[in-house]
Amino acid sequence: MSDETGVPSYLIPRISPEAAEFFAGTVRGELRVQRCASCGLHHHYPRMFCPHCGSDELTWVTASGRGTVHSFTVIRQQGIPMFKEQVPFVVALVDLDEPGARFIAQLPTVAPEHAVIDMRVQVRFRPASEDMAFVEFEPHE
Amino acid sequence: MNRRVCVAGVGWADGPKTPDLTAMGLQAQAFGRATADAGLTKSDIDGLASAGYGGMHEVQLAEYLGLTPHWLDSTSCGGSSFEFHALHAYRAIQAGDVDTVAIVYGNNELSTAGRSLGTGRSGGGGAAAMPYPMSFELTTGLTLVGAYAMAAQRHMHQYGTTAEQLASIAVQTREHAARNPHAMYRDLITVDDVLGSKLVADPLHKLDCCVVSDGGCALILTTEERARDLGRPLVYVRGAAAGMTHHSIQGMPDLTVTAGAVTGPKAFAEAGIGPSDVDTFQMYDSFTYTVLVCLEDLGFAPKGEGGAFAASGALRLGGALPTNTDGGGLSATHPGMRGLFLLCEATRQLRGEAGDSQVAGAEIAVAHGSGGWLSTMGTVVLGTEPV
Repeated sequence: MSDETGVPSYLIPRISPEAAEFFAGTVRGELRVQRCASCGLHHHYPRMFCPHCGSDELTWVTASGRGTVHSFTVIRQQGIPMFKEQVPFVVALVDLDEPGARFIAQLPTVAPEHAVIDMRVQVRFRPASEDMAFVEFEPHE
Repeated sequence: MNRRVCVAGVGWADGPKTPDLTAMGLQAQAFGRATADAGLTKSDIDGLASAGYGGMHEVQLAEYLGLTPHWLDSTSCGGSSFEFHALHAYRAIQAGDVDTVAIVYGNNELSTAGRSLGTGRSGGGGAAAMPYPMSFELTTGLTLVGAYAMAAQRHMHQYGTTAEQLASIAVQTREHAARNPHAMYRDLITVDDVLGSKLVADPLHKLDCCVVSDGGCALILTTEERARDLGRPLVYVRGAAAGMTHHSIQGMPDLTVTAGAVTGPKAFAEAGIGPSDVDTFQMYDSFTYTVLVCLEDLGFAPKGEGGAFAASGALRLGGALPTNTDGGGLSATHPGMRGLFLLCEATRQLRGEAGDSQVAGAEIAVAHGSGGWLSTMGTVVLGTEPV
């Protein structure tokens, strides 16, 4: 358990080289995603290669942090400690306003009965370790 | 060379609860029963396929069984691995690379792991050990059930599919389980029972989810020529196709369409059939939604109308498309992966050996496997006559 954050160490992913900029951004409070210079689409998780068109002409941009819920579920049964104590909670697929990038994240401030598809959301960061924060979303407007 | 391919034998291990058997023991039991059913001995087997364990599993299994096959397939892409195996074996037998392939699966999931399927067991190796893409998913607390639930939720949003329609799939499957003495759960249930069972991940309830059991089965494919000599009722492989769309749910291009939309029509075309020719459908029912979306993708119902089709009673014995006639993963058996059980049940139906669960006059059966998070799909068309 990392004392500061309450996130158990076994839930902290290894930072892979292609994702280093993404995680560094989460510590600064910036949502960094890759944009393809060839097709103009964004993607997440970070890669060496655009999954939309196959180009390797990728640049990092800071996303607006705003997006739309594409779908969601309410997790009511979870065996992993931390999550087990947190149920019920909402997990959503969020399409960023920047086309092409989809995130999967918790909506921790949205009560299960208030979660709906198409709701507008905005990113927030939950510190997980010295080197990263987890991406979450909360209602926007 | 383009030889016709038939099922030579099928066999089932004990189940649904076998605390005294190992996974390997279940596989050996199923293999032994399938070879006996075929009238073959182990020396007749020159190809072996299996999945569900670590690297070199099928090699280990061959050693355990005392086999020295020259053709191996360890394709391991989730629960549909066995439809991929059947496709690969079908092509290899057609081409003359191998004559007789055993596909084997068995696992004591219930006795070793308990009933936490798809909702997380422990930290395990932890996030550091996760495959790279999954490290962005499991840190959210999403579960396997939750991934399917998000897909179901989207389908409901787009097409007005209801929880009652999903529940009807579980209800009809249980009717079939009630006729299967080896099924895990046999008491009849209602739509209200499903909706009244605990929500695991909205909109999926406990009874929308497959069981956790022990069990195993084996299928042997061979040439038509050899199958004729063996004297069992002939069951032909008429067509097969496999494909994928994504790995984890965050990468699924459209939550309401699976690779079945490609593999179904492709396998049907090779088999020279259309959806209306199918007498019985053996469909990987990891969750009720898996069935619903694939009913549409394989063309049994138009996109968006799978719910109404299922709720009409089409899936029960006597209905338009008797589905999962052994009680399925939802009620009968699911020892971690179910793809091979679909092929074995399809064979049992086409041989006319399904007893109380027999679909009268069944001539065409389709087995459709789904693996991962609706990720990998394989369709196999079997029939009592060649194409």
